[in-house]
Amino acid sequence: MNVQVEILMAFFLLSCLMLAACSRMLHCIRIVALQGLLLGLMPLAAAEHIHMHQIGAAFLNISLKAVLLPLLLKAAMHKAQVKRELEPLVGYAASLLIVLGGMFISFWLGRKLNLPENAGALRLAVPVAFSVVLTGLFIIMARKKAITQVIGFLTFENGIALFGSAMMIECGLAVELGILLDVFVLVFIMGIAVMRINSAFEHIDSDKLNLLEEQTHGAAK
Amino acid sequence: MIELYLIFLPAVFAALIALSRKPVVIKILLAVAALLHLAGVIMLFNRLQEDAAALLPGWLEADFPGMIVVCIASALFCAVAIYTLFWLPASRKFEIQYPTMSSHALCSVMCLFLSTMSLTAFAANFGLLWVAVEATTLASAPLIAFRRSRAALEAMWKYLVICSVGIGLALLGTFMLGAAARFSSQGFTDLSFRSFISIKEYLDPQYFKAAFLFCLAGYGLKMGLAPFHVWLPDAYSESPAPVSVLLSGALVNCSFLAIVRVTAAVPEKLQSFCSEYLIGLGILSLFVAACFIIRQKDFKRMLAYSSVEHMGLMAIFWGLQMTDAALLHMIGHSACKMILFFMAGNIFLVYGTKEYRYISGMFSTMPLAACIWLGGMLFICGVPPSPLFTTEIMLIQKAGGVLGLLILLPLFVIFCGMTRTALEMTMGPAGEVPRKEAVPAGLRLSIIPAFLAFIPLAAGIYLIFQL
Repeated sequence: MNVQVEILMAFFLLSCLMLAACSRMLHCIRIVALQGLLLGLMPLAAAEHIHMHQIGAAFLNISLKAVLLPLLLKAAMHKAQVKRELEPLVGYAASLLIVLGGMFISFWLGRKLNLPENAGALRLAVPVAFSVVLTGLFIIMARKKAITQVIGFLTFENGIALFGSAMMIECGLAVELGILLDVFVLVFIMGIAVMRINSAFEHIDSDKLNLLEEQTHGAAK
Repeated sequence: MIELYLIFLPAVFAALIALSRKPVVIKILLAVAALLHLAGVIMLFNRLQEDAAALLPGWLEADFPGMIVVCIASALFCAVAIYTLFWLPASRKFEIQYPTMSSHALCSVMCLFLSTMSLTAFAANFGLLWVAVEATTLASAPLIAFRRSRAALEAMWKYLVICSVGIGLALLGTFMLGAAARFSSQGFTDLSFRSFISIKEYLDPQYFKAAFLFCLAGYGLKMGLAPFHVWLPDAYSESPAPVSVLLSGALVNCSFLAIVRVTAAVPEKLQSFCSEYLIGLGILSLFVAACFIIRQKDFKRMLAYSSVEHMGLMAIFWGLQMTDAALLHMIGHSACKMILFFMAGNIFLVYGTKEYRYISGMFSTMPLAACIWLGGMLFICGVPPSPLFTTEIMLIQKAGGVLGLLILLPLFVIFCGMTRTALEMTMGPAGEVPRKEAVPAGLRLSIIPAFLAFIPLAAGIYLIFQL
């Protein structure tokens, strides 16, 4: 197994732990940018011979996930004037424990999957990818602010992309571009929605978005 | 060639509409886009019988289920475009409590939505299919927040977050499908349906099971199968009438098509495993829909839960491998739901509320609307001569004893809940009408669904004689 890949994977795991314990929004955005960078470098580190199109793909991935999306998120953050996630639904110490638990489960699952002996980096990639996916899902559920949920979604998506690149599933250029475009447009729309919610509700706490619960007496307007 | 035409034509018109500012031009462009798209679909149907080769094999191919889906989407879009021409001015005049999206933004995004749905129908590659389904989410999310009310914004946020996470799971499922091929004896080539179907017996069963479950959860969430349906009632009830028609009539079919594509690659020995999950989720959807319909106060949410019910039925159809009946049910459901959501929009326009207890005596205030509303409710519940009656009879015959009972029981509860609501709204003394001046507009708008109602009626009568 090659060393560079192992280092990148270790950084990925660290970024998950940092994200779970981080309350300042700007830090969270930087961590997601770091994940984007790691994700872009992964195919270059894993490949034995580096081709031109791999460099192109890495460049595209890094410029979108490590530069453009974080800038977008920062703009939305400034517009909505949120700096911190002050009262998360799950405290930071508990969050760390839960994310660690998620990693434990992921590694246990990774051992259960019968990967071939010569799989190399794959043996580490699957559990790491699952850890990142679980962390993202946890952030979406455990944080209140709409922006933090977007950050959680990006982490979730990074985990899935990590799985794809580790399994070396070549979907073709059109699909890879399509996936990147979809993620970009999604974050863009989410950013606009954050601003709209901010101006309509005067806050972006998504746990207070509860007008539409099922009610027995008179449903929501 | 026509596939590309059908995908890019609405996108081009979306750009044109976005650039134009005159209301008349926007309306003409929307109608022309809808008609040209429908013409393209008819041409494609003719070409499909000639069995010509696909333009981009492995990427874009037109086959029978895809054709049905794009045909429904196109026909519905045509009806929606015509309805929107008359609905927009009326809505601008009478529904003034919230600021709304501008007309050109609405029409432009609606065209984009049609383009993404066409792409979903023609995608012949699991990766491209995922990109297309996610694109339908992105194109439909702004439409839900047409009214800038708090409730609509909340519905849009939930739709975006829940659907994106769900579709993310489907992407994980897609990569797992790739892994299942990678660890098979044949090796991984590409993600096209054709190469998967050719090697499906060799796929790694463990990875395939995981891939199937992730795809079922992801695309099932988008389709509205319980227990992943939470976003659906909010989105359907908060969106304006033309958008809820497109969401409930066309979008769910695209998501169902995605599940159809995945089941086409199921190896023979895992067939029963996959069927059990489809039938199980279907039955659960029926029961969830029954529970929420019987105590529902909001008639648009009631229609949304009825969609959950019909998606459940379609999953059961597919689990029992009744492919033709499933497609027939899909067409029938889309036609009936379209009429009902148009009518719900008209009723909301006149009464300004979605709670049925404030509405009564529609037979005396808006007789035409009352007839279609009551008839539509009976049709969606599968009362003969509805086309859904025939397909449901076929389903019960195939399902047999215990499963048949499990299907019939929630269907009966749903029938009671929906007809009760419809009867209370239409019968009785004429209640107070908050927007008296909107009644003529509401009646005029009901003429379009009145004409459309002949389609399921004629189809239903024809099907009963075929039974």
